[in-house]
Amino acid sequence: MKDFKILRLLDKLMPLIEKTGVDYWSMRKILQVKLLMDGRRVPTVFSNNKKSNDTDDNKFLKSLGVYILMGLVLIPFVIMKSNYMYQMSIVFSIVMFFITTSLISDFSAVLLDVGYKNIIGTKPVGSRTIGMAKVIHLTIYLFNITISLIGPALLVSLFTQGAIFFLVFLVTIVLLELFIIALTALLYFLILRFFDGEKLKDIINYIQIILTMVISIGYQLVGRVFSIADLKINFIPKWWHYFIAPIWFSAPFQMIKNSEISDIYITFTILAIVIPITAFAFYIKFINHFEDSLQKLNNNHSNTNKVNRSSVDFFAKLLCRDSEERLFYRFASNMMRNVRQFKLKIYPLLGLSIILPFVFIFQILGNSTIHDISSGKMYFLIYFCGMMLPTLIWMIRYSEKYKGAWIYKSLPIRNVAPIFKGTIKAFLTKLFLPIFILESIIFTIIFGTRILPELLIVLLNILIFTMICFMTMKKSLPFSEAFESAQQDNSLFNLLITLVLALLAAIHFGLANLNYGVYILLVLGSIVNLFLWKAAFNISSEKLIRN
Amino acid sequence: MGNDVTVEIKNLCMKYGTKEVLKDINLEVYKGEIIGYIGTNGAGKSTTIKIILGIVEGFTGEIKILGQDISKDKIEYKRKIGYVPEVAELFDSLTAREYLTFIAELYGMSYEKANIKAEKLMHLFGIKKFYDSRINTYSKGMKQKVLIISSLLHDPDILFLDEPLSGLDANSVMIVKEILFLLSKQGKTIFYSSHIMDVVEKISNRIVLLNNGHVVADGSFEQLKETSKGGSLEQIFNQITGFNEFEAIAEEFVSIVKEV
Repeated sequence: MKDFKILRLLDKLMPLIEKTGVDYWSMRKILQVKLLMDGRRVPTVFSNNKKSNDTDDNKFLKSLGVYILMGLVLIPFVIMKSNYMYQMSIVFSIVMFFITTSLISDFSAVLLDVGYKNIIGTKPVGSRTIGMAKVIHLTIYLFNITISLIGPALLVSLFTQGAIFFLVFLVTIVLLELFIIALTALLYFLILRFFDGEKLKDIINYIQIILTMVISIGYQLVGRVFSIADLKINFIPKWWHYFIAPIWFSAPFQMIKNSEISDIYITFTILAIVIPITAFAFYIKFINHFEDSLQKLNNNHSNTNKVNRSSVDFFAKLLCRDSEERLFYRFASNMMRNVRQFKLKIYPLLGLSIILPFVFIFQILGNSTIHDISSGKMYFLIYFCGMMLPTLIWMIRYSEKYKGAWIYKSLPIRNVAPIFKGTIKAFLTKLFLPIFILESIIFTIIFGTRILPELLIVLLNILIFTMICFMTMKKSLPFSEAFESAQQDNSLFNLLITLVLALLAAIHFGLANLNYGVYILLVLGSIVNLFLWKAAFNISSEKLIRN
Repeated sequence: MGNDVTVEIKNLCMKYGTKEVLKDINLEVYKGEIIGYIGTNGAGKSTTIKIILGIVEGFTGEIKILGQDISKDKIEYKRKIGYVPEVAELFDSLTAREYLTFIAELYGMSYEKANIKAEKLMHLFGIKKFYDSRINTYSKGMKQKVLIISSLLHDPDILFLDEPLSGLDANSVMIVKEILFLLSKQGKTIFYSSHIMDVVEKISNRIVLLNNGHVVADGSFEQLKETSKGGSLEQIFNQITGFNEFEAIAEEFVSIVKEV
């Protein structure tokens, strides 16, 4: 079997890992198999290709390019030589933001995976070993992302700031990483301890939303720590700074580069070292309990899920004219509720959609009054809601029970259009609309009823955007593909397609200032929608199946 | 307790939430026994096996495997156990070579030994040429053969088989039945759980019938035949589980199918 370089690297840590009570060789075996499987594509129900051994390549590694691109943002902050508290706090909060959101959305499924247990748990391998394999598996991926993200900045810092800076940077990043993993895992652990059954699954999703929101707010809070007066950036420590992690990690740089050594910086540095290590050690200590409580996720015995049938039926009738479409609307609504991995991925994104518009408003609120804002144009920020749509539309193809997709093939379905149309409508009404309506209400309170026609235009534009996303994506029938633990291959696409939304918002912004502009937009938007919602579903089922 | 007891279950109870699945199960199993472990859907067969294998926790009572209490040391006793799960769950993006050696290594075998052994067994099952193909390209029967091999590679003393013949063709079924017979003669204990009564009737030398979480019958086929009036295990099963209306249900079923 293929041996991975990373595992040989891990072998150096063997004595340390064995000290935690882990059976190292079993753990290494599990990791090896997991990494091997990540590199292999799970064939879909429809792929007729029976080639048994296509080359092993990990798509995840290819998707890291996006992170390198995003990491370029960090470079100016490691070139600057003014206030290191300021510049490094910005660097660490950006890194923390990306790593945490990626951990909770993309890797929650790995962390909460119970599939390990049925195959490996019946073998003489302890929960501790299984848990450790899982964390290391996860850490390998997170390190890959982090290294891509900070790689460019790290390299630049070696030349602009010197070797010591470079080394401290590297060490602090590792500590930050451990801190994030331990914190997230411990949070999940807490929830697993106190909740059970169906409630547990809901709570996990809510926590994801809340966590994403908190990290987004925290992210922009860092900028506020500093008062920028006369182009000089001052850092005046306050008690609540002790709770903002990026600040801890910045302190050593201030001491090294600006030789400002004070009690406060020393305290921050100690926090930066002690807290991540303690948190991680704590997590490792309880890792077997964590694994054991994961089992609760499999308890489906106590739930008789109360489903509001009538509301699903009501929307199905309201939104779908065709009976086949209505059927798939209901089918998708039912499926969605039970696809755990899908929820794990999509809910953090929902959190982001809720909070982003407000984060920007708060930011402006610092420099102007609420009155200035309410008469302004800030309500265009509601377009941020639409940012979740590319991922949402992309995700409809996935399901844990993708093997059930044989029904599409065996049923007498002539046209696949109602399948997609019904499913997309179900996803929009279940996940996008509630958030959009909530934000519309809050925005109307802030900006007044004058924005109501504009909100309608926003909705029309977002619906256009949805169809553009759908049309440009490679299509695959709903719920017909397997999740891959490290599937990331659409992030670049998401980034690019979001520009289309920005473009639509810009057109809206430009035309809204003209006389009758609003009415022109409303009519135009409706026509384009009518056209797109027809054209987009013109898919030949032959082509779909051959993919 | 004699030396021949391999599995000992005392006062085993299990609840899922408020639902009691197992109510005071007591069982003593000996070397060389093939236990036909049967019961209606949801009677608690798979739950018992999953508890013994440590996949399901939260039970009360005592379980000893080869004298070791499984709630004291949760790992070591598993070295002596082989398991074929009801649902063919395996890492199917691996090849059979990768999967089988992986599992055997977790049981503590060396790669080389496991590899040679697995390849030979694959050959005997007639699927050697697929040894390096990914399992997700296999047919159901081939997957089942891989599962059976993976449960036996480390030469366990106790086997837990949950519908082990599912998907196998008639010829393979004959091979596996004979394998089980030979293994039991060597002194291995086999837990055989299935819904196919004629097979259970033929291969087991002791039958344990579970109903609503209780053991309602325990003995050889001959003994069961004496205590109840049925001639076949299927009839005995119907009788003990109190089921005698299959004709009426079938008739109604067909009449509903007709309505479109």
